[in-house]
Amino acid sequence: MKLRTWRQAGTEAKLLLIGIPLFIWTMLPIYHLCLFAFSSKDEAMGGRMWPEHPTLHNFEVVFREQHHYLNHFWLQMWNSLFIAVTVGLLTLVVATSAAFAISRLKVRGGRTVMNLALFTYFIPAAFLAVPMYKTMGVYGLLNNQWALILAMTTIAAPYSIWVLKQASDKLPWELDEAAKMDGATPLQLFRLVYLPLMTPSLVAIGTYALLLAWNEYLYAFLLLSNDRDVTLGVALGNFLAADDSPWELLMTTGLIYALPPAAIYYTFKRYMVGGLTAGAVKS
Amino acid sequence: MATVSFQNIEKSFGSTKVIQGISFDIREGEFMVLVGPSGCGKSTLLRMLAGLEEITGGTIAIDDKVVNDIESKDRDIAMVFQSYALYPHMTVGENMAFSLKLRKADPKMMADRVAHASKILNLDPYLARFPRELSGGQRQRVAMGRAIVRDPKVFLFDEPLSNLDAKLRVAMRAEIKALHQRLKTTTVYVTHDQVEAMTMADRIVVMHDGRIEQIGAPLELYDHPDNLFVAQFIGSPSMNVMNGKVKRGGGPAHVEVAGGVRWPLQQGPGTEGQAVAYGIRPGDLRLTSADADGAVPAEIVVVEPTGSETELLLQAGEDQLILVTHGRPNVNPGDRIGLTIDPAKVHVFDQGTGARLAA
Repeated sequence: MKLRTWRQAGTEAKLLLIGIPLFIWTMLPIYHLCLFAFSSKDEAMGGRMWPEHPTLHNFEVVFREQHHYLNHFWLQMWNSLFIAVTVGLLTLVVATSAAFAISRLKVRGGRTVMNLALFTYFIPAAFLAVPMYKTMGVYGLLNNQWALILAMTTIAAPYSIWVLKQASDKLPWELDEAAKMDGATPLQLFRLVYLPLMTPSLVAIGTYALLLAWNEYLYAFLLLSNDRDVTLGVALGNFLAADDSPWELLMTTGLIYALPPAAIYYTFKRYMVGGLTAGAVKS
Repeated sequence: MATVSFQNIEKSFGSTKVIQGISFDIREGEFMVLVGPSGCGKSTLLRMLAGLEEITGGTIAIDDKVVNDIESKDRDIAMVFQSYALYPHMTVGENMAFSLKLRKADPKMMADRVAHASKILNLDPYLARFPRELSGGQRQRVAMGRAIVRDPKVFLFDEPLSNLDAKLRVAMRAEIKALHQRLKTTTVYVTHDQVEAMTMADRIVVMHDGRIEQIGAPLELYDHPDNLFVAQFIGSPSMNVMNGKVKRGGGPAHVEVAGGVRWPLQQGPGTEGQAVAYGIRPGDLRLTSADADGAVPAEIVVVEPTGSETELLLQAGEDQLILVTHGRPNVNPGDRIGLTIDPAKVHVFDQGTGARLAA
């Protein structure tokens, strides 16, 4: 018994040996982000590991838009949110319809279309930025938030289609046949049987696309230039334009910017592990 | 209630022809079982009737109306799937009401039908539960309930009991049979289990390699199999079959098999020297002493008592055969015994074609 306890302790110790450095490695930048956010301007660059006089002053400045870099903070926050949520929803519409058509309706050539879409990932998104800029120019969408929304949906869609197709392939085929015999049209099948069963995957993919758009910098920077249109991410980049960047405000805004994704992730985490199909068919 | 008619039905998947021109009729209110080994095409045939599979050739008619180009939802049929195929996100009640809801049925009528079906199937306490909260047998009943609620012209069952354990299978078998006797709806039931087929069917269609081997009432197939395939497929344990040649000259007619064993024969079937398969059911063999007059000598290999009956594995010449008796014979492995046979109970088939030779 004792030996076993020792062995368990040994295993635990080994895990800790890997876990602790990994934890420090991940948390150190975040710690510094927080350190800056809760320090005054003078203290921030002091190199201390703990703020001597922790303050919420930075947050006040940010929330009240009291710095010229932050003149449109709330608007830009809204821009980020609007664009991210729209991209999430649009990606869901595109990817769910595609996955349903390919996986359940077995549309001819569906797999080819999916593979072609996935093929775009062979080219790094950064290389596609300029062609995308040109394309949006042709459509007259430059400096329009829809340019970014469409671009991000394009980038998120292939992976989303692929993931949703894999998920829908796992739904029992007999359910479709049963629904068909019960008198369901393809649209009713989609709405009444397919969507409810796909909910966990849909939440996961929606979150993925939303976070992808929320965190995007390059495309947002290229496609939007008006201060009132850009996302908060781009606005953060603009902080670095000056020689005397207000680091403590940059870090504070960064911290605020990082909170919604974390909240979204933790809210929907439980959906991402699905077990909804249990009991449908004998496995 | 309805009739179903298959006319020259063919089915190909690509270049593989899985159903080779099948014709038969199902009578009104009949419980018809399609049985055969896996890959014989029975499920495909059922799925074509259900409208889940394209018909390559021929016509299927329900109540004399050809349904080839009618969608399954408009064929007025309901199907019970092997895997139950219950909608996991709906309660038992919602599962059963789904088809009526899609048809925008009157809510009162919908509630009545569901209540009626759940009463027949004893599902009342479970109406608010989800399929994942039910046992296998209960799920199977919900699947049947979903079909009953529709009040269709024809019930289709696709191996509905295969997923259940042996005891539950026997219970559900009786339940389905009782259900049919109560509702009298025309039923097409697919199974690979010949015991299920024998116990449930009004008539059985035995299929093999996309063809019909024989159609008939269970005991008719058992007593008068048209060919060697049906003879061996129907009945458990299956019929003993020995290959030999018909001998008529010198004494009573018999079939002589390799090793010189002579099996008695009626005067009728087979011409002198014809190569035949000689079949006798395990229950039609009688034990006697080794030196009895006219008995076929054999040796006991294994004795398997099951309580109600005893199964003996025997060696006669080069053939092994099974004997089933209701008694409890006092014999042991290695004993020499004799076998007597009523020649009227013998089945003789042509070795080449497998066809039954007229007795």
